[in-house]
Amino acid sequence: MERAENPGRERILARIHSALRASAPRHDAGEKRAIFVSVADPLERFQQQCALTSTECMLVPDAAAAAEALRTVLESIPAGEIFAQDAPLLHRIVQRAEGGRAVRWSNAGPPNEGSQATITLAECLVASHGSVLIASNGAGRAASVAAPVHIVLAGESQLVPDLASALARAKQDRLAETNSCLFLITGSSRTADIEKILVLGAHGPRRLVVIVMRDLDA
Amino acid sequence: MTTASQEFLRAAARESANLPRRQAIRRAIDQYDAAVQRGREQFLDYEAARRKCYEIKWEALNHLDRYLEEFEQRVRARGGQVFWAERAEDARRYVVDLATARGVRTVVKSKSMVAEEIHLTPALEKLGARVFETDLGEFIVQLRNEPPFHIVTPAMHLTRADIAKLFEEKLAEAMSPAASRDDPAELVAAARRALRRAFFSAEMGITGANFLVADAGLIAITTNEGNDRLGTALPRIHVAIAGIEKVIPRLEDLAVLWPVLATAGTGQTITCYNTLIGGPRAPAEVDGPQEFHVVLLDNGRTDLLADAEQRDVLHCIRCGACLNACPVFRSIGGHAYGTTYSGPIGSVLTPHLRGLNEFQHLSYASSLCGACTTVCPVQIDLHHHLLHNRRNAVRASDRPWSERLAFRFWRWTMSGSRRFALAGWLGRATLRGVRALGLAGTTLDLLRPWTRYHAAPVIPRKSFRALWRKNGAR
Amino acid sequence: MDTARVLRRIGCAIDFPEAQTCCGQPAFNTGYWDEARPLAERFVRVFRSAEAVVCPSGSCTTMVRNCYPELLAGTALSGDANSLGQRVFEFSEFVVKVAGIRDVGAYFPHRVAVHDACHALRELRIKEEPRELLRRVRGLELVEMPASEECCGFGGTFAVKFGMISAAMGDTKAGNAEASGAEYVASTDPSCLLHIDGILRRRNSPVRTIHVASILAQTGRAKESVEIAARARSAE
Repeated sequence: MERAENPGRERILARIHSALRASAPRHDAGEKRAIFVSVADPLERFQQQCALTSTECMLVPDAAAAAEALRTVLESIPAGEIFAQDAPLLHRIVQRAEGGRAVRWSNAGPPNEGSQATITLAECLVASHGSVLIASNGAGRAASVAAPVHIVLAGESQLVPDLASALARAKQDRLAETNSCLFLITGSSRTADIEKILVLGAHGPRRLVVIVMRDLDA
Repeated sequence: MTTASQEFLRAAARESANLPRRQAIRRAIDQYDAAVQRGREQFLDYEAARRKCYEIKWEALNHLDRYLEEFEQRVRARGGQVFWAERAEDARRYVVDLATARGVRTVVKSKSMVAEEIHLTPALEKLGARVFETDLGEFIVQLRNEPPFHIVTPAMHLTRADIAKLFEEKLAEAMSPAASRDDPAELVAAARRALRRAFFSAEMGITGANFLVADAGLIAITTNEGNDRLGTALPRIHVAIAGIEKVIPRLEDLAVLWPVLATAGTGQTITCYNTLIGGPRAPAEVDGPQEFHVVLLDNGRTDLLADAEQRDVLHCIRCGACLNACPVFRSIGGHAYGTTYSGPIGSVLTPHLRGLNEFQHLSYASSLCGACTTVCPVQIDLHHHLLHNRRNAVRASDRPWSERLAFRFWRWTMSGSRRFALAGWLGRATLRGVRALGLAGTTLDLLRPWTRYHAAPVIPRKSFRALWRKNGAR
Repeated sequence: MDTARVLRRIGCAIDFPEAQTCCGQPAFNTGYWDEARPLAERFVRVFRSAEAVVCPSGSCTTMVRNCYPELLAGTALSGDANSLGQRVFEFSEFVVKVAGIRDVGAYFPHRVAVHDACHALRELRIKEEPRELLRRVRGLELVEMPASEECCGFGGTFAVKFGMISAAMGDTKAGNAEASGAEYVASTDPSCLLHIDGILRRRNSPVRTIHVASILAQTGRAKESVEIAARARSAE
């Protein structure tokens, strides 16, 4: 949109500028106090938070064990195509776990409407809230919401203590420059719009599974 | 009295008398209160969190031009488009023109109070497009053809039986024949089935934005359902509409805003999906919209910005906490207000956006209890602003002449202790006289507005003054 | 009168300046600040030289302490208003925090629940003071009612302008009072009590209302009888 087609822009900015000539009162800042309960043991905290948000957290020693864990998860879901992020680590792991299922890889496009599960990596795991940070330039946007089950594979080294560190890391790694989106996901899709009763699996996945490998490189 | 205030009085009377509805609201809010107690446990110091959120919004609003320009520049660098809409009709026109130009037949919409404010859906429907609300609560009230009942929980006033009946009527094909009809999980599943087709076929996804992050050029959207995620992944056009006041300076500000919004909004420690979007699909990305438009709406916000005393009203993050805390809201519910924004924030804000003359009654429909101010996560001085709106209405000579006269007389009476004592004696005598003559409850009874809802008070024979003179001075 | 009795009993020398009229709150809260201002100025002049001003009403105390500074900002009496604000106290606040007394030798053998009046609670931060006093009243059983902090619905002219909402809020409060099993609802504010009382009696409720000062004025001597309505009114 050319500037000329949006005269409102200059007028709004002028009104803001004029409005701000009057200074607004400001509350006393007071002494700086710690806001959040601190995270002593990130892994333990992450697991606790996952339990509270119905995220299935599976802690495994290495990639081989991750493949095993993935296999058991896939056995628990109905037959049908699954979708996976096109990454070397996932190729190795999924190959050992898919058990004959059709796998659509992200380099072929986004997940199909009938996908039973999606498998992605993550940028980091946030211990304080049991959250997963995912960037769009991996498997795309639909990958982490389109199927009934979303499985994340991550390493323990990707765990950060809290949201502040996750966002600082995102800034440091300039994720907003190489990705159009960043997604912070905590638990599976849910709603309490009906009589405040919690129901899982509204429009997004009913299950979120996070497989954490203690040692990524083994 | 304007039509809006007459409407409000009628609606308030009707809703206050609706006991089952009041009980439903009470139950929902009791659950919310319990959840908030749990959510607050993540904070070592919730007051410090509130103060921090206040600081962030104060910084943002008091340098609003700078931050908006920074935000715009970064979005445009990623190929996104930013349109600045002065009034509701400018925003509507932009979206409608875009939908027309792109041949949009189906729209999926995430919850957006701003979209409600500008009445966007009817404008799109006039084009012949089908607009699907995808937030479950919004979807439900859309099927019922009514506005949302509450900012955060649009269908708070309905029981599962109400919703089951609605779905059987309007969503029959999506209901599973075997399942129990009013099981919430079944109802959610039916909505999911019905809306999934819409997500996969829509050409345009419309969302609001909880925050506009200036230094990263990202919009932030918060949902539990993930409807915003599907709506911004699948359609080829994404339009985000947000009030200009939604801007925040830095990405790291979200580290406290996200948890506080969740706790104040629903009692969760953090909402399920916190999405950051900065542009259309990037060249190497697998999927995503080809176009990303951000519509920045003024619609009276710059007037409020200019009111230095009430500028903090623009801090609002639309969490709904003040609605839940408000005893007036609890008694009459969200529809009675008759405005897009209800509850304390609605009562404070609406006169600024839509005129003090027509909407001052909302600022008067409060006992000024202050519960709202106590819970507001961004420390807006809500109940004092209700008072400020009242003062402004008086200053604008906008009050009924009978009231102005009454207070002038009242001031005269109170200005001298003899007058005061005389007035007191006269008042008591008149009230006793009215009783004695059997005129209680008639139009001659000055106490009638009171006795409509209260048992008649005992009128004391003596004033305190008289008692003091007789016994008290010892 | 009960306020005066109790204050004397704990050893205060009290005076009632007859020149006083009204703090101006009804006009102020309705937005008529120009009408309220002269009354505020009068109040400040009448009480300027008092060592302490005690008021059996949280809302009036709030008006003087919290609102006068805003109302009288920039006027000649601004400084006096700010200074007076430091010396004006709600009754229970005065007894507990200024006089440092919690046991005033009262006797009131009934079950009592406290309604937290909004101004006292949120503007003056008074929550524990009435309870500390009532806990030391002999024979008194203090109970908590559900949602004791929720507004009763009086709100000044609100009760008349929006009577149905005010009544619904009062109704909720009355229901909570009954649920607590209390015989009396006590509060620091006569306006709340007036409203709650009217609603309770209209419901033919067994629960009655009483001002905190009126409870404390009871010492158990035979000649004192508990006449609720009169006491609630004369608690000045």
